[in-house]
Amino acid sequence: MEHILSILIFFPAVAALIGFMVSKESIRAYAIAVTAIEFMLSMILWYMFDAQNAGMQFMQMIELIPSYGINYLVAVDGISLFLVILTTFMTMISLIGLTEKRDLKNLVISVLFLEMTMVAVFLCLDAIVFYLFWELSLVPMLYIIGAWGGKLRIYASIKFFLYTFTGSLVMLVGMLYLGFVYYQTTGNWSFSILDWNMLLLPFDMQMWLFVAFFLGFAIKVPMVPFHTWLPYAHGQAPTIGSVILAAVLLKMGTYGFVRFSLPLFPDASAFFTIPIAILALIAIVYTAMVAYAQEDMKQVIAYSSVSHMGVIILGIFALNVEGIGGAIFLMISHGIVSGALFMLVGVIYDRRHTKMIAEFGGLASVMPRYATIFGIMLMASVGLPLTIGFVGEFLSLLGFFKVSPIITLIAGLTIILGAVYMLVLYKRSFFGPITNEENKKLTDAKGRELVALVPLVALVIILGIYPKPILDPVNKSVTQLVEVMKIKAIKPVTKTKLISANSIGEVK
Amino acid sequence: MIPPIDIDFVSLNFVTIVPMLIAIVGALTILCIDLFAKNLDKSFYIILAVLFLVVDLGSLYGYNGAVRGFFDLMLVDGISVLAQFIILIGTAMFMLLSLNKLRFHENNYAEYYALYLFMVAGFQFMVSSDSLILIFVGLETASMALYTMIAMHNKDRALEAAIKYFTMGALATAFFAFGAMIFYALTGSVELGVISQVLVESNFDNYPVVLLGVAFMLGAIGFKLSLVPFHTWVADVYEGSSASLAGFISVVPKIAAFIVALRFFEIFIAADDKVVEGILYAIVVLTMTIPNIIALLQTDIKRMLAFSSISHAGFVMAAIILGTTQSTNAIFLYWSLFLVTNLGGFAMLWLNEDKSKNFCSDHHLAKYAGMIKTSPIAATMMGLFMLSLAGIPPFALFWGKMYLIGSAVSAGFIVLALIMVLNSAIAAYYYLKPIVYMFLKEPVENSEVQYLSNASTPLKTIVGICAVVTIISTMMVEPLLEIISYYVQISGY
Repeated sequence: MEHILSILIFFPAVAALIGFMVSKESIRAYAIAVTAIEFMLSMILWYMFDAQNAGMQFMQMIELIPSYGINYLVAVDGISLFLVILTTFMTMISLIGLTEKRDLKNLVISVLFLEMTMVAVFLCLDAIVFYLFWELSLVPMLYIIGAWGGKLRIYASIKFFLYTFTGSLVMLVGMLYLGFVYYQTTGNWSFSILDWNMLLLPFDMQMWLFVAFFLGFAIKVPMVPFHTWLPYAHGQAPTIGSVILAAVLLKMGTYGFVRFSLPLFPDASAFFTIPIAILALIAIVYTAMVAYAQEDMKQVIAYSSVSHMGVIILGIFALNVEGIGGAIFLMISHGIVSGALFMLVGVIYDRRHTKMIAEFGGLASVMPRYATIFGIMLMASVGLPLTIGFVGEFLSLLGFFKVSPIITLIAGLTIILGAVYMLVLYKRSFFGPITNEENKKLTDAKGRELVALVPLVALVIILGIYPKPILDPVNKSVTQLVEVMKIKAIKPVTKTKLISANSIGEVK
Repeated sequence: MIPPIDIDFVSLNFVTIVPMLIAIVGALTILCIDLFAKNLDKSFYIILAVLFLVVDLGSLYGYNGAVRGFFDLMLVDGISVLAQFIILIGTAMFMLLSLNKLRFHENNYAEYYALYLFMVAGFQFMVSSDSLILIFVGLETASMALYTMIAMHNKDRALEAAIKYFTMGALATAFFAFGAMIFYALTGSVELGVISQVLVESNFDNYPVVLLGVAFMLGAIGFKLSLVPFHTWVADVYEGSSASLAGFISVVPKIAAFIVALRFFEIFIAADDKVVEGILYAIVVLTMTIPNIIALLQTDIKRMLAFSSISHAGFVMAAIILGTTQSTNAIFLYWSLFLVTNLGGFAMLWLNEDKSKNFCSDHHLAKYAGMIKTSPIAATMMGLFMLSLAGIPPFALFWGKMYLIGSAVSAGFIVLALIMVLNSAIAAYYYLKPIVYMFLKEPVENSEVQYLSNASTPLKTIVGICAVVTIISTMMVEPLLEIISYYVQISGY
């Protein structure tokens, strides 16, 4: 199993190609089987993963364009391990809960291709190959949104595509420049992040490169003010598209910050901490308010996603172990929770063909099981202690508290806003008398839906109570990441900033 | 009394013109066969012509190091060999597209294929010389053949296209002659090497006149490369010609013109002439941007591809400004990958060419609506080529773009790199349009659209080959780069 990472990457792609030959009737079962195997593979990876080792593991390299320093280079560490597992898990769950009937074969094959690109993004350490999969993931998503989406689906899919494509092209220029810098310093071309980590970059170069990478990642996250594609994409995407988008695709952006921006440009990262924190804060406050005003259930969750991604950004740019580790944990929990919420909206949309909150009311009495699951997920989303949402949110804010108590305070207070819109959503659609005749005949969640949702509920509670198995390996790798940043920082200001952010019990 | 001319036969170095001779002999053979045997099928001529091209390609093998011949008129160096490779392979592939199913007027004439070969010989002369006179002769040979071939297509707009191309081409010819004349007057030579030497030694004496010469040459080369503002003919000419010929025009003549541009502007880039660099920079930026924006408005895929190919030419022209070894490599890498992708793209249009008049233009976007439902494989192929043209990794043209932008970054032209990147983003929008129509829209009801009505097994094979190459191009970049950098280095660029 030395090549387990490559197997993880290419198994879904091969399965997708074979999928063209599978009959229409059995394609769903086939897809679930494939993604289940993929999930098992990722569990094997976790089993084989040495949690005591903070560095890169299972590294594998194949030369692609050696004269230009581009190699297929994959490896996994504590940071990427759980994102890979999240990807394989959520893809499997979203396929189990899949209700789409039209053109099922093309949809399933697109999802499998998408899975390949997502897993690869988290595993590739060569910048160009990373970029390759990063861009490639747009194609199946374009198709999924554009072909199975709502009324404005074509507009939404093109907007999604162009927005992210443009941002990442600028990032490509940054990558090419870094490759060139490496060439100038060492005489060899290389696009491997591990090699790049050896470079000490002057401050102004760091600033420019940081901005170039920032554009690529910030649009993907999405950070305010680059978030405008997301509500459209979510609003128009079919359920499975929204689930994967929220659960995994957005994490690619935050992962990029952790993997590229922080270790490569420590001084610039420290320099931009406060501006980025303010952007994140705007995201948290503003989108929470926008979410409150939405009439559409799915839009509420879409905006709440943007809001939560703001907390993740805050955690990452705390630049300490608690913050970054918490942010990574929050990525995982947000993946599970928002994925589940989108799936829940999908369940009700499937029955009523509407997502407007005003259409519902009193659902709790006709659909008790559904209401319970929705309630638990909602609590996790709000960040109630003992749910998965609490751990990451708490750690992220704790991390940032060391950097700026005021911003943390505002962010912490605005999380209340999150509780407000979520609870209002819950109240309006689940409590009270049944106002709409059509809702009386609704059937409760059952069978396949429960198979998809119950594991998520279990995870939300188990990991909420006992997050250690994930937090430990994550923190190990993050500690090392912070060490790298300390070593690479060329300005004394950054060094002191990093040291103070990472000191124990000391508040600035 | 005129002294008898004493030519040492060996000094002519006949080897240098063997490739061109093969093409010319091939053309003459086809014409002769046509004289005697009247009722031969077109496929015979096509295969015969392709065979000559293959022999031609074989004769190129083994050139290494700059070889001169014919009183130094000929110069077969690395870039010439590379360009001839691309020209020959490109021509052979595009020629095979004539093995189509429907009967089109021009394909039934043996002369059509003879003209193809004459044109190839012209291009080969163009790239294998640094003498402005021989370049001129090659250019004219090729252009004359091309004008005729466009006119042979008997659709309504073909004549218009041919006349437009001819008149504009004639103007470009005049520009070229005038430019050459000025440089001859300034330096007493028509050989680019000598011109460069004299100009540098005299420290660009008489600079305004030099600039005038550059302006004329720019007009001539710019016309052939369809650089802005000499690009106005492109869309109409593409629209008037058949899809297979339009694809050909978008790739093969341009590589020949790139070589001329590379050899000519090298004089000024190497001397670090800020004015000429500035002019070129402006032209490159405009050529990338303006046609890109016009392409956004097109509703006909062929016209869209026409404008986009202008933009691609602008991209590659940027490499000439950079003037580094890496950028020269990038020209060839980009163009060989572009050849494959564009061949695939135009071949797909050609497969779907029909004789009906359902839509206001041949390849209206609406014609392709919902194609994934009716012919999924064809739609997937076409989508693939569009993605590749847009520069989505890992498909072929991405590597060309990446290497080219990389060379811009390495040469310190960050702003240029950003402009290239922004243009890629704009281009992505219109390349998505056909994809949106094919994959995301419902088919137009009650329209009798016939896809693949022009498809034959050979055509499908070509498209298949292109698709495979486009997908696995990641593996091919390294060997390609190896070959390219070898040839570029031996010619000293």
